[in-house]
Amino acid sequence: MEQRFLKSVLGVYVAAFVIFLYGPFIVLTILSFQQGPDGGPQFPIIEWSTYWYQQLFGLTPPSRIAPLPFGDALIRSLILSMMTMVVSTVLGVMSAQAFRRKFKGSSVVFYLIVLGMMVPGVLTGLGTSLLANNVIGIERHWYTTAFATHVSYTFPFAFLVMLAILNRFDASVEEAAWSLGVDPWTTFRKITFPLIFPGVLSAMLFAFTLSLDEFPRTLFASGRDQTLPLAIYGTFSVEIHPNIFAFGVLTTLFSFALLSVYGILMGLSVRRARRQAMQEDIA
Amino acid sequence: METAVFRLEGVTKRYGDLVALDNATMEAGSNEYISFLGPSGSGKTTLLRVIAGFEAPETGRVIFEGRDITNLPAHERGIGFVFQNFALFPHLSVIANVGFGLRYGKSPQPEAEIDRRAHEMIDLVGLKGLEDRGVDQISGGQRQRVALARTLAMQPRLVLLDEPLGALDANLRGRMRTELRAIRERLGVTFLHVTGSENEALAMGDRVVVLDRGRIIQTGRATEIYDSPNSPDVAHFLNRFNLFDGTFRAGYFEGPFGRIPAPGARRADRDVYAIRYDRMRAVAPGSAVQGPALKATWIASEYLGSAIVNFFETDGGRVVEMEQHLSLGAPQTFEPRQDCLLTWNPEQAIVFGREAA
Repeated sequence: MEQRFLKSVLGVYVAAFVIFLYGPFIVLTILSFQQGPDGGPQFPIIEWSTYWYQQLFGLTPPSRIAPLPFGDALIRSLILSMMTMVVSTVLGVMSAQAFRRKFKGSSVVFYLIVLGMMVPGVLTGLGTSLLANNVIGIERHWYTTAFATHVSYTFPFAFLVMLAILNRFDASVEEAAWSLGVDPWTTFRKITFPLIFPGVLSAMLFAFTLSLDEFPRTLFASGRDQTLPLAIYGTFSVEIHPNIFAFGVLTTLFSFALLSVYGILMGLSVRRARRQAMQEDIA
Repeated sequence: METAVFRLEGVTKRYGDLVALDNATMEAGSNEYISFLGPSGSGKTTLLRVIAGFEAPETGRVIFEGRDITNLPAHERGIGFVFQNFALFPHLSVIANVGFGLRYGKSPQPEAEIDRRAHEMIDLVGLKGLEDRGVDQISGGQRQRVALARTLAMQPRLVLLDEPLGALDANLRGRMRTELRAIRERLGVTFLHVTGSENEALAMGDRVVVLDRGRIIQTGRATEIYDSPNSPDVAHFLNRFNLFDGTFRAGYFEGPFGRIPAPGARRADRDVYAIRYDRMRAVAPGSAVQGPALKATWIASEYLGSAIVNFFETDGGRVVEMEQHLSLGAPQTFEPRQDCLLTWNPEQAIVFGREAA
């Protein structure tokens, strides 16, 4: 009896969670099929159409509503996220590797790294911009100052992911490679890295997605040229049209595609690990 | 022993306050099979890891082929290591595992040579036909062989084996014992084999090194160790002796079995009387026996196939074992809680005493 009660409470809870998670996105998706160019960003749907999607790609005749000025911002954001992903993941792997041995002051260094994700983003952004303008005296750009704040923000995530992965890593395979006369660097490339690759993939995904929609740090640190989140925010202050919803749906689909690739790669390596564990039980 | 391939000189290794190796000194000849015996925590594995270069000792030197390798990194030592968990590379096939050192090691070989030698090793350990399997698609015994082949492919002159048979079932263990010996004899390399099993140590080693709390407490041929352990601890690790506390004075040992002469007692840090399980005899209580007589009650027996082990409890609550080989005729049978008198030929006992010469 009690069990059934608990189960239904948990069920309601999960349902509420799912609604809050996907509700906004579902509403946006529906509104993105609003009639154009006269339909507004609200219910009811006057007529279903793909007008706003066509407008995104410049396939509609010119109207009073200007196309979204997102082209350059999108490319900037993608490049910035890629750069951040590569640098943060490399740093994350390297520093987590260093933490496999206890060294003097390791706990201090640990907190210094993790601080990067704790400090309020607005402060980091503001501080970086002051540092660049008033102290060092350089211009702010999305690929310099903003890039630095993105790395300081996403590096701790990559670091923590890799720390967890390496924590469970059985070091005896590395020792086995050394005892075969293989130097530590080659051992890392040929043994350690392939085995921790699922973790590296997770770290990359974290760094990329966090950087792609980073707002507060970029706001102050990016200078003249805007990244995608800033550009989207910029359009809000004028007037909102369903074309921004259509754009949101497309970027979300892109994220899902990214997640699917990640899921497939992950699934492959997990299946291999499971097969191995099963074999061990039999043996 | 001809030329020493390998020597340890006063090696000490600490982990914080724990002394894992205490001034260990030993030597190994070429083409020798040495097994290390000791309880867990005795420093056996640490010893191997120091030799392999995975751990650095605080003091002492490691000499290999006439060279001081104490500060040489592991990958430059040319010493093979076989792990208890095999530590195979899970993302590589059997043949890629075996060829790994040849391909990426100090002196990379041409592909054809790697292929030839890897196949040769796979044949040697009897894995022909499994070359392209993943290491997750073979059995435990086969993995053990891959680990061995991978190490031997590098043609090391010294191979360290860390409880290599520990993860296998009893049947396979027996077979691998024989094969390990055969493979070693064919290649003429020196094996240092760590084991927690006294049977394995005695069966496999040309020489046995007994460790306790980080110290090497006895070194000798298997028969020497078995017939004359030099301390109560060694006798205890061999798991073949009933050990009794008592007092040794003026050539006599006084224990729970009476006061009996003990000529040829050895000096030790405490007084202990050791008698092998298979030297014990049980007679009816009240029988006239000369020499030691220990009152005990029968508790249980264990059938081992070739022998029977009877367990008795003495008045002091100690368990005493008696082993009877079935080849010597039908074994005695006992009733539960039956009282007996245990006796033995005192000349076959090994006596340790503080006052012994």
